[in-house]
Amino acid sequence: MRLPIADGPTVRAYALGLLRAHRSALTRIAVLHGLAATAGLAGPWLLGRVVDGITHGTTGGFIDRMVAVGLVAVLTQAALTRYATRASIVFGEQVFARLREEFVETVTTLPLSTVERAGTGDLVARTTNDVNRLQHAVRFGVPRVIVAVVSITLTVVACVLVSPLVALALFVGVPGMVTVVRWYLRRATPAYVREAAAYATLNGTITESVEGARTVDALSLGPRRHRRVRSDLHEAFRAERATLNLRTVLFPGVDLAFVLAPAAVLLWGGWLAADGRVSLGAVTSIVLYGYQMAGPVWELIFWVDEIQVAMTALARIVGVQLVAPDRTAGTDRPVDERIAAEGLRYAYREGHDVLHGIDLDLVPGERLAVVGPSGAGKSTLGRLLAGIHPPTGGRVTVGGVPLVDLPLDELRGHVALVTQEHHVFVGSVADNLRLAAEHADDHALEHALRAVDAWDWVQALPEGLGTAVGSGGAALTPAQAQQLALARLVLLDPHTLVLDEATSLLDPRAARHLERSLSAVLAGRTVVAIAHRLHTAHDADRVAVVQDGMVSEIGAHDDLVAAGGDYAALWRSWQHEA
Amino acid sequence: MRSLPLADPGTPPTSGPWPLLGWLARKQAGPLTAAVLLGILTFACQAVLPWLTGRAVDGGLTHGFGRDLFRAVTGLVALGLVSAAASAIGHRFDVTCWMRAAFTSSELVGRTAARSGHTITAELPTGEVVSAVANDSLRIGEMYANAGRFVGSLVAYAVVAVLMLRVSVPLGLVVVLGLPTVAAVLGLLVKPLQRKQAAQREASGRLTTLGADTVSGLRILRGIGGEHVFTARYREQSQKVRAAGVDVAGTQSWLDGLQVLLPGAFVVALVWLGAHLALTGTVTPGQLVSTYGFAAFLAWPVQNATMMLQAATRAHVGAAKVVAVLRVVPASGARPASAAAPAPGVALVDETSGVRVDTGRVVGLVSADPDESAAIATRMGRFDDEAEATTPVLLGGVALADLPKEEVRRRIVVAEATPHLFSGPLVDELDVRGVADRTHVSHALALADAHDVLESLPGGLDGELTERGRSLSGGQRQRVALARALLTDPEFLVLVEPTSAVDAHTEARIAARLADARRGRSTLVVSASPVVLEHVDEVQLVEDGRLVARGRHDDLLAGAAGADVADRYGRIVGRRLDEERTTAAGGAERTGGAS
Repeated sequence: MRLPIADGPTVRAYALGLLRAHRSALTRIAVLHGLAATAGLAGPWLLGRVVDGITHGTTGGFIDRMVAVGLVAVLTQAALTRYATRASIVFGEQVFARLREEFVETVTTLPLSTVERAGTGDLVARTTNDVNRLQHAVRFGVPRVIVAVVSITLTVVACVLVSPLVALALFVGVPGMVTVVRWYLRRATPAYVREAAAYATLNGTITESVEGARTVDALSLGPRRHRRVRSDLHEAFRAERATLNLRTVLFPGVDLAFVLAPAAVLLWGGWLAADGRVSLGAVTSIVLYGYQMAGPVWELIFWVDEIQVAMTALARIVGVQLVAPDRTAGTDRPVDERIAAEGLRYAYREGHDVLHGIDLDLVPGERLAVVGPSGAGKSTLGRLLAGIHPPTGGRVTVGGVPLVDLPLDELRGHVALVTQEHHVFVGSVADNLRLAAEHADDHALEHALRAVDAWDWVQALPEGLGTAVGSGGAALTPAQAQQLALARLVLLDPHTLVLDEATSLLDPRAARHLERSLSAVLAGRTVVAIAHRLHTAHDADRVAVVQDGMVSEIGAHDDLVAAGGDYAALWRSWQHEA
Repeated sequence: MRSLPLADPGTPPTSGPWPLLGWLARKQAGPLTAAVLLGILTFACQAVLPWLTGRAVDGGLTHGFGRDLFRAVTGLVALGLVSAAASAIGHRFDVTCWMRAAFTSSELVGRTAARSGHTITAELPTGEVVSAVANDSLRIGEMYANAGRFVGSLVAYAVVAVLMLRVSVPLGLVVVLGLPTVAAVLGLLVKPLQRKQAAQREASGRLTTLGADTVSGLRILRGIGGEHVFTARYREQSQKVRAAGVDVAGTQSWLDGLQVLLPGAFVVALVWLGAHLALTGTVTPGQLVSTYGFAAFLAWPVQNATMMLQAATRAHVGAAKVVAVLRVVPASGARPASAAAPAPGVALVDETSGVRVDTGRVVGLVSADPDESAAIATRMGRFDDEAEATTPVLLGGVALADLPKEEVRRRIVVAEATPHLFSGPLVDELDVRGVADRTHVSHALALADAHDVLESLPGGLDGELTERGRSLSGGQRQRVALARALLTDPEFLVLVEPTSAVDAHTEARIAARLADARRGRSTLVVSASPVVLEHVDEVQLVEDGRLVARGRHDDLLAGAAGADVADRYGRIVGRRLDEERTTAAGGAERTGGAS
């Protein structure tokens, strides 16, 4: 399943809503740019007047006056441009900052089941590539489009004011140009999206080759990786060639309009001037206006193109907001710390139940080991017990209230989950810990780190608690990363913990060390330990054997061994091997 | 248009950035020449347009609606058409040059990354290598893409200078000297802007990292809460980016204003001078119009020249970074082989420790220190010739470092503890040698007990593995990597902790099947798990880097190599159990005390 992508009307409605919300700021910017563009129209008009003046005989004084007006116009345009530019950049920054903040807030509250089914790759791409692509359009595109539209409109108005009759000739190339531009814009977006995707794939291939350099060498994957780069480059080439072909039509199509316009104005204007119906100065002004329009027209085409591409990014960003929440917080509050599961079912794909109705009561303070073969549903059970996924059937309650009816913050005070995955967040060591307790002081952090036996190495880091870790910062070993995760638990202080093979991805030595730290964290809490090593089970208060999505046996280790069921058989083989 | 990438990217000079740039230029001399010629044609036509416009105005003035006007207008249209065509075709050559240069350097970087083994990660951060393709190669390309327009601009400038000086020497001099001065002044202001933009890019880059980080750690964030703490941090950084953007706006707006003011003031001055000359009859009104047109047009070549300067600077920086990647020398196999490979049926021996894999044996390697046994296994893969000069590994009596590297890789495969999975169809990623059929692949998956992967991956064997196999669980990744290693079916297979992340039942199943499947082929398994060691032909125990005992698992435990060895060996293979039991008991006691 993929994350949703918003459809055209939704995206347009969203974009319009955004524009409407900032109507007054946008108007102000448009007015400033409009005034600047108006001042910029003085040049050709003045030159026309001067040409007329010279043809009909004039004085140096007239020319000086005209030039003085021109100078004032340039100064005004420069000053207005300065304020208009500033206002539009500040505006773009503001709108975009809000947009990306809202987006990330949405992302962090997405149902985890959705994220897992879609894979994090898509979401990472939306958070990075799409946000960046959109940023370009919002920051630079929107202001440039405003400038271009205002300039073109005002230039046309100026031509009409100078001489509506002559100005007619300006539009001789317009029908052709409009046809070509429409043809182009219809095809451009998918073509440029494909181009961007081709480069993203290429960068991904290089990243993989470098990150997996050791495996590439060990398995002689070099030629294969090289071939992959070549095929990625070939796709990039084909994508580039496709957009190039589009531009090969667009460029001359638009250029033609700007070749025809001045020629038509000169001929038509020359004919009119011969009759004395217009002055040659008016013709001159309009020819120069025609040349002057080429810049804004090209800029408009360029940005419409970019904004179309940005709209596809926006569709993916808005799409994330379309994911329905998987829970709504209720008002009931737990009466005690007792966690219970009733008739628990769960399906990742509809109709494929992974759990087939599990009942389980946790005794506060007990240690329950969950064992069973891979793929039996142990991890899924753990996630439901921690309230990560809402069950598809049945319910998990704490103190009589379903876990998924609790606000997230409160839920984590009751039960937390630690898995075999380890991830060090970008930021300082302290930042990593404060994710669990926002207002914890350094003393509390130190206490938590000491509890998990991590204070020594944290203290030895260049800046102690303040040392930057995570991507780009100091590298931590997987064991250290997992210790930070455990320290977070100490700070979070939930009464129930679900440990899903928390140490299984570590090498045996690191795992041993970590498990010592772990015991400090477990003290005084209800613990559900999902494990693949049976000794964990031996020491637990109770053992639940999960097979094929059902609890097949549950009870104290000794009782189960005595009962002579599956667990007993497993235990015997394990003991024999050890 | 020739299809890219070219059949062979060739061997570039790596002595420095300029030699690389020169080599790239020579490799595409044809398209580059075409781009330059078309650039000259485009710009020469464009340069003549204002002159013809002036002629048309004068023609209309003196002869009214007549031959002079027609001639000038016909000229305008003809030149315009030629210029439009030349510009469109020229653009195709510009892009061709861009692609040739960018793709060639991308491929060279990709080839180096694929060939260099772990040296590349040791010498350069991953980001730098990726950036050599994602940014630096593209920047190199830009220089060649700009070449045509740059040369064209220079020619256009010369054409305008000639035309202007013919009209009026003072006017000509003002135009020819004035605009570069304006450009130079504006150039000075660009520096502070670039500094501020760089500051914003940096802040923005941090924000992107923070965003990507949130998503990568989302599962963990969910387990412990902390979503709103994270959102608050993101918002804080986002506001920093905004503030940096406002800072940019200040400088940018001044620059934009000056970009209007300086050229504008220049044109005003020119018109003033020209109009007074026209008044005295030195220049015609049409020539005044031409002058205005030239001044407006020349801004374009001057801008192109500035762009070329910036493009060349960036290309030089980019080329230096690409060269840094291309200079990476693989840690193994860089020297030519000095010995012929021995025939199959010989033993693989680590001289330093005395650990040996005899032909056709499945050997378990055990050490109290897992790093120590892993290091021995790694040496058998010949990953670093220099480091291993003092710790030779012999294949049939010949040092691995003296053999042809392909021969070593073909006969010996070392699968390390944290193997990397690559994105692509599962069946292709499993069958890395491309020799097995689907039955073999399924069989290998079954051997590694990884059949569940087929169910969790939509499309089964043809399903796409995502980058690093992220869509799989940790245990699944390990089993898929094991299946991949088994499928290479080499003479010697070395597996480091192949089952550390799987549960006990599965481990037992894999261990039994593995020993069966490799029966008669030489295999070394590094593991301290009794479940695995039970199934191997022979266990070799290493202490302090030396082989101290060998024998079957049961025999070693039973004291066949002496009672003290049995004791120490028993503690290593049983230790996980003992120690964890103590820990868990401690935890349980405390839990009991508190409840």
